Amino acid sequence: MSENETKEYWRWKEYNWKNPDIPDWRGSMVTAGVDVGSTSSQAVIMVDGQLYAFSNMRTGSDSPSSAIDAINWAMEGTGLALEDISFTVGTGYGRVNVPFANKAVTEIACHARGANFMYGPTVRTLLDMGGQDCKAIHCDERGKVTSFLMNDKCAAGTGRGMEVFANLLAVPIEEVGDMSLSVEEEPAPVSSTCVVFAKTEATGLLRAGWSKEKVLAAYCSAMASRVVSLLERNGMEKDFAITGGIAKNSGVVKRIERILGIEALKPNYDTQIAGALGGALFAKALAEKSNKGKIAGR
Amino acid sequence: MFTQFKEWYEKRHDYAMEWKEKTGGKIIGYFCTYVPEEILYAADVLPVRVLGGHEPQDVTEPHIFGMYCPFSRDVLAQGLKNKFFYLDGITIAQSCLHIRQAYTSWDLHRPTEFSYYLPMPHNVQSDHSRTFLRSELQQFQEAVEKWTGKKITDVDLDRGIDIVNTNRRLLKQIFELRRQENPPLTGQEAMYLVLSSQMTDKREHNKALLELLEQLPQRKLNRPTGERLMILGSENDDIPFTEMVEQVCEATFVIDDHCTGTRYFWNESVKDEDRLLEIANRYVDRVPCPTKDWPQRKRLEHIQNLIKDYDVQGVIVIQQKFCDPHELDIPAIQKSLKERGIPTLFLEFDVTAPLGPFRIRVEAFLEMMRQEDLF
Repeated sequence: MSENETKEYWRWKEYNWKNPDIPDWRGSMVTAGVDVGSTSSQAVIMVDGQLYAFSNMRTGSDSPSSAIDAINWAMEGTGLALEDISFTVGTGYGRVNVPFANKAVTEIACHARGANFMYGPTVRTLLDMGGQDCKAIHCDERGKVTSFLMNDKCAAGTGRGMEVFANLLAVPIEEVGDMSLSVEEEPAPVSSTCVVFAKTEATGLLRAGWSKEKVLAAYCSAMASRVVSLLERNGMEKDFAITGGIAKNSGVVKRIERILGIEALKPNYDTQIAGALGGALFAKALAEKSNKGKIAGR
Repeated sequence: MFTQFKEWYEKRHDYAMEWKEKTGGKIIGYFCTYVPEEILYAADVLPVRVLGGHEPQDVTEPHIFGMYCPFSRDVLAQGLKNKFFYLDGITIAQSCLHIRQAYTSWDLHRPTEFSYYLPMPHNVQSDHSRTFLRSELQQFQEAVEKWTGKKITDVDLDRGIDIVNTNRRLLKQIFELRRQENPPLTGQEAMYLVLSSQMTDKREHNKALLELLEQLPQRKLNRPTGERLMILGSENDDIPFTEMVEQVCEATFVIDDHCTGTRYFWNESVKDEDRLLEIANRYVDRVPCPTKDWPQRKRLEHIQNLIKDYDVQGVIVIQQKFCDPHELDIPAIQKSLKERGIPTLFLEFDVTAPLGPFRIRVEAFLEMMRQEDLF
């Protein structure tokens, strides 16, 4: 077997992070949000409403252990233990299967709240491009959902679809976006965004002599027009932001912006943590309301 | 309290066969609620509604277009799989082409001794609709008489009208209890009431409703009412979905606009010396299905009234996939609800409801109304 066949091009970076500006959590209120998605899981820990630590990893075969792995990884090196967290919100596809969560909230509400923190209160339209679904969300200045639309009937326009393409073309997933933008002339989008059919179509295009760049451009473009129709059905209003894994793919983001004629706000955080971040913010509000807002380490 | 109604719904075929054995009467399957059951009761024929089985099937493919609504295909599957083998006749009144195709294919492949297509007028708002329908009802009556070998007299028609009207009146009285702050019945229980009324002898059903009506006002449900929801669309006998919304998501359906719900029984007929005209008037004036709701849209106003009367906080609009008439109505409905600030959630239904994906939508919808706690 050659190296090419064994290499997993779809594999995105799994990592954990700790805020160097917060030296200690003791004496503060610690809350958490855990987003167990279909494809990736994140745990976010906040200290007095400040982002303190998070982890971002692939979801395993069962939700409860993915949730536990995610929170343990986020707590790594912080000295925190589960009992120090005063309130945890579970969200995502596996939201009811987060064993240590105090409450489950949908990822629709959590993403809107998380985006409000990440991008500021001017966000009105949010596009969450997740692993296996895609959501167009409207929210107010507090990040409160006012309407939403969701596509989870097929993998078109989702992270999983992009992973399949990265593997098919043997291009590391982090490079897909920039590579797709390197074409001199924008090709017509692949006619089907169905992952299975698009794969067949792409194979045909490669055989017809198309470069990888051109095929990727055609696929990113198809994905962009697909999600734009979802956004337009829900109604577009500025400011506009994107969360989820695909927000890191410049090839899709640029094309969405091009079709809409609106630029998306630039993220200062990992866009994959928006759901867990929203969950941790809700956890803070809920902790304060339920008198569970104990101070950690006392 | 609702066990009997639930059992009637779940064991509809057993009920029908027992009825037949007991009475020796004929049973007719009907495909649309525009069929005048009054005339069938007058002829001592039992009308039962043909609904789907909510199971994936593979028998209808050569007989009905794949992009006809899943309900119509499910209905046809019931026929092709002989689930309604006891039927002596089948009938439909014109509403939409999809269900008519199910009827026609059923008639072709599983012929019964009596089959009747009733051309219910589409333009019920026309000046001629009443006289048109009256003449059609006359022909329908004659065909039924020929089939049963028994003349239908005015006395028979009065009896038929009374049986059906009583059923409508009792159902409405029970539904009105749902206006209360804490309704004494859930949406799921209300569903069983209407669905079973379409599958049983209404004389028996009326007795059970009367008993229920005596007990219900004192009943307290040991559950929070939660958000007061309305559900609307074409037909809906998707029990698992209703159960999920009420039991898992903790909201309550307080009213509906479905032909397996209020649209079926909301209007009684108004007494007229000419019995057939009385029946014709009832079907012309009833809460319309979208196939009959033009040029003026009466349904929008009706839905708004229900929202007001039943203090509805949110509306779930469901559509059978590929249902053309409702596809036409839904944008207007959603627009009119939006203008009045009523949150709506749109869901597309198939033979089986994908409960996981529906759950997140319903939860997020309810969170939109509840989420103040989260901030």
